Amino acid sequence: MSRPADTGARRAAHLALRAAAPAGRRALLLVVLLAAVFTAVELLPGDAAGNSAERGESAADLAARRHLLGLDRPLWERFADWMGGLPTGDLGTSAHGQKVTALLADPLPNTLVLAVTAFLLTVALSLLLGCWAAARPGRPADRVIGHASTAAFALPEFVVSAGLLLVLSLWTGWLPAVTVTGGDGRPATWTMLVLPVLALVIPQTGWNTRVVRGALADQASTPHVQAAHLDGLPPHRVLLRHQLPGAVPAIATGVATSTGLLFGGAVVVETLFNYPGIGTVLASAVAARDTPLIAGVVMCAGAVISLVLLAADLVRHATLGART
Amino acid sequence: MNRRQALWAGGALGVGALLAACSSSGGGTSSASSAGDGAPRKGGTLRVGALGRASAITRDPHGTQANESDYLVIALVFDTLTVPGAKANVAPRLAASWEPSADLKTWRFRIDKGAVFHDGTPVTAEDVAWSLKRLRGTPSGAARLPGVQAGNIRAEGADTVVLVSDYANAEFPMLTRFASFVMKKDTKDAEVAKAPGTGPFKLDWYRGGNARLVRNDRWHGSPVHLDAIEVTMFETPQAMANALLTGQIDLASNAGAVAARTAASRRDVQVLRRPNDMAMPIVMRTARPSPFADERVREAMRLVVDRDVMVRQVLSGYGTVANDILGTGDPDYAKDIPQRGRDLAKARRLLADAGFDLSRTYELVTTEDVPGLADSATLFAHQAADVGVRIKVVKQESGTFWAKTWKTGDLYTSYWGTNDSAVFFAAKTMVGEAGQNEAGWNDPGFDAAYRKVIGTADTGKRAAALKELQRIEHDRSGYLLWGMADGIDLAAAKVRNLPRLAGYGRVQLEGVWLR
Amino acid sequence: MTAPPAAVPRPAAPRRSPGRVKAAMFAVSVSLPALAALAGPLISPHGIDTPVTAPFGAPGAGVPLGGDQLGRDVLSRVLHGGTALIASALLVAVVTTLTAALIGCVAVLRPRLGRLVERGADVAILLPPLLGIMLVALAWPGGGRRAVIAAAVVLGVPYAIRIVAAAASPLATAGYVEAALSRGESTAYIAWREILPNLRATVLTLFGLRFVEAVYVISMAGFLQIGPRPPASDWSLMIRENAPGALLNPWAVIAPSLAIAGLAIAVNLLTHSLAPDTTAKAVTRS
Repeated sequence: MSRPADTGARRAAHLALRAAAPAGRRALLLVVLLAAVFTAVELLPGDAAGNSAERGESAADLAARRHLLGLDRPLWERFADWMGGLPTGDLGTSAHGQKVTALLADPLPNTLVLAVTAFLLTVALSLLLGCWAAARPGRPADRVIGHASTAAFALPEFVVSAGLLLVLSLWTGWLPAVTVTGGDGRPATWTMLVLPVLALVIPQTGWNTRVVRGALADQASTPHVQAAHLDGLPPHRVLLRHQLPGAVPAIATGVATSTGLLFGGAVVVETLFNYPGIGTVLASAVAARDTPLIAGVVMCAGAVISLVLLAADLVRHATLGART
Repeated sequence: MNRRQALWAGGALGVGALLAACSSSGGGTSSASSAGDGAPRKGGTLRVGALGRASAITRDPHGTQANESDYLVIALVFDTLTVPGAKANVAPRLAASWEPSADLKTWRFRIDKGAVFHDGTPVTAEDVAWSLKRLRGTPSGAARLPGVQAGNIRAEGADTVVLVSDYANAEFPMLTRFASFVMKKDTKDAEVAKAPGTGPFKLDWYRGGNARLVRNDRWHGSPVHLDAIEVTMFETPQAMANALLTGQIDLASNAGAVAARTAASRRDVQVLRRPNDMAMPIVMRTARPSPFADERVREAMRLVVDRDVMVRQVLSGYGTVANDILGTGDPDYAKDIPQRGRDLAKARRLLADAGFDLSRTYELVTTEDVPGLADSATLFAHQAADVGVRIKVVKQESGTFWAKTWKTGDLYTSYWGTNDSAVFFAAKTMVGEAGQNEAGWNDPGFDAAYRKVIGTADTGKRAAALKELQRIEHDRSGYLLWGMADGIDLAAAKVRNLPRLAGYGRVQLEGVWLR
Repeated sequence: MTAPPAAVPRPAAPRRSPGRVKAAMFAVSVSLPALAALAGPLISPHGIDTPVTAPFGAPGAGVPLGGDQLGRDVLSRVLHGGTALIASALLVAVVTTLTAALIGCVAVLRPRLGRLVERGADVAILLPPLLGIMLVALAWPGGGRRAVIAAAVVLGVPYAIRIVAAAASPLATAGYVEAALSRGESTAYIAWREILPNLRATVLTLFGLRFVEAVYVISMAGFLQIGPRPPASDWSLMIRENAPGALLNPWAVIAPSLAIAGLAIAVNLLTHSLAPDTTAKAVTRS
């Protein structure tokens, strides 16, 4: 955006104002989601007391444990309590008596590192592939990329992971098979990130390449792009200067929408590669009916997804605003 | 089968003989074991992998440790009064010795003279009594110290702790083997994670299930050789085995049979088999109106199962055939009771005599809690079809199983990880009034034999009663125990003197050294 | 795919072109794996629960792909393992698409319903689908496959409605719809007779995408052991069960992986060839 600098501050203020409303709405949606999750976990058979008990505890012991965990209080009260702790950064206590914030303190940054790396790589790759294909509409390169991205996005992460693990680690020994952490709670070497990131990037790139390619195709038929072609501008220039900027809002929305899928993939990928992130925490928390822990993970994931969607909203507003 | 497997598979050897025979072997290759052994070498860091889940992390020694990784860390930092042993099934740890009163109700444990906490203060009887009371006060306290009221735990002088049981119990010290971790008196709940222990290792750091422990030079037990132990938590045995095979860890604790077979061709990896590690019995409800209430039907089921095939297919051969008696690792296990084999003709006859309804389909409920459990159910269902018994395997989600099926189901799989005592199972799962009577069994003859065992001080008489107890269990109980899975650890070739004991004995890493 | 510049884009209708014949042939060729999966049980050499070799036994005579974790024939289990997966994915796709098409058309005529649907989709988008499946399936423990199917439908519908509504909203102000409204026709009539017929391409595309998504979600759930139960043979479950022995008999993992990949790709290409333009667009609308 080549705009005079003095309008920059006003634009920023304007944007912030515009962002406030959607941000509030997104926060409200998150609360609705959390309430739904709390209720859903309540419907599950068994509870955290039973799941953290040992064989042979009597009914009275179990009741004591239930009381200790606060499970004998009404659902809405527990939810209100939990929500009340949020502003102070208190996410409650897990069924095994650990602070949820302590349980998530290391995994959350780890997952963010994994997801952000995968996300950036995905965006870069899909922009590259999408533009490359769009520059050659209908030609073999376009068709190959189209089919390949279609194929990639249909592959579940665990299939990709199983293949990568066999080929790149167990057979060849090139990369570490699992992640081992050091005293700082982070993966001991960066090479441990390669396989999990790849397992996430391959299906995600498939999806996002299609998003980019589709948005560019939409733009190809707009009058100003047609006009640019008629003016005799070189195709790559038309693509980068005219087609791509117009496609940005659609791309931003499409890419932002896929962060939910990215997180779902992370649950499986982290478990398979023993990556210490919130995906592994979630998988085991669901199995253990650990409501505060599940809610904590959903909170974190939902907040991150909300932020990404909000960023996409802003990008859309900014670019659409620039064009009008 | 290679040399190493042949050595470990020797179920005929007593556990003590096994220990003696193998204390200088266990090498991955013959050259390695002959050249590198000898006097233990001091130093080095052992990287251990253990199973655990991030959500189930527990730092409290008296909490519910669902994670092997957490239990491993706790067991190396803190000491229990006693530990599982090789020759007798109870060996001293923090308690140097113990003795009962004449009526077998009052037990006195004397604390090891040299025992000090990591911060240098000596361990007192007050500390131990306080810790045991704290344990007794947890929701699972009654299950962990059965028959001992909190008021009946007290310190006597500086180095003796007295526990009074509600009933005579000749096997009382067994209760103090797994959970009686000792902390300083009045340790606050919030400080438990950093509380000093008395164990062979001190906690350096703990993060998200992973930990680093360093040697405690003042440990009261035998000399510790390792400088440090690094524990890495793994969600799945598969990830753990992969980590070992790619050299990211030195020891994969409890890795399982498939990992062992995968590693069998690797010369740089040793496979350790700890026999009698895991029991996966099929439980048949003995109380009416269960279809298995008739003794003859249960006998028929025990004759239908093809034990050799079960061990071969379900355990990949890494296990031994069992004889429907739980506690196969007990030094007093009744080896002379004839092994039950497959006899389809007799099974058919028994089923016909009992009027068993062959037109129905019976549900066998199982879970995926431990590897091979669901597989054993599937295979048993397949074998039962040979006498016309139709069994449908129903896999329940773990929480549902423990809440809905366990102790009440007609036919389900169970599993037990501590198998070095026949009396333990009798007390816990088979006596009429037992809290965890899985099959709802109520047999006056068996109950009488049990009371005789725990109420008799004379070892000869007790052994006779124990044999009688096992014979009744073999003939009439609600259990079908087809085999015992080996505990399998994988280790890098350089690791020496690994624990040989089954079950939780595997956490005794204080004797390990690196070549 | 340079569409001719159209001043007023007409509601998309399936276009006829020579490429269509090629697409149809292509469709037949890629649906062969799916056919094989459906007919698989008829030609499998062994039963699915009979041990015929050692656990993770290597391929040999009679067991071309070796044994699985109980020594059962991998080939037979792969041949059996797709039927239920394909059937459930199909069911999810059909139900989701139909529901979304109907509600979506009505939503553009009834703004209040429209807003409700929007909010629903906004919340659903924050819940990663996999987590939703875990919760629904665990809340209904005896549900097995039915629980997974129900969860996939419930979680997929809001998003699908949004796609239909987005495609239908230009139509709500089209002349023939306004004419029908002024005639006093009922909402249901207009949705069914005036709007839906003009959304054929969108709905077809949506169906394809939902099917792909359903295969993904159901196999992901299967991998997390939600849905199919042992000893049932299911591709995703096979990958999970046999992963520990991947080095002993790689085929026990590779064969079901290839089957899932093949199915997913086949379905995807099929959708792509049926409605190439709208597929690309549908994924960008949210």
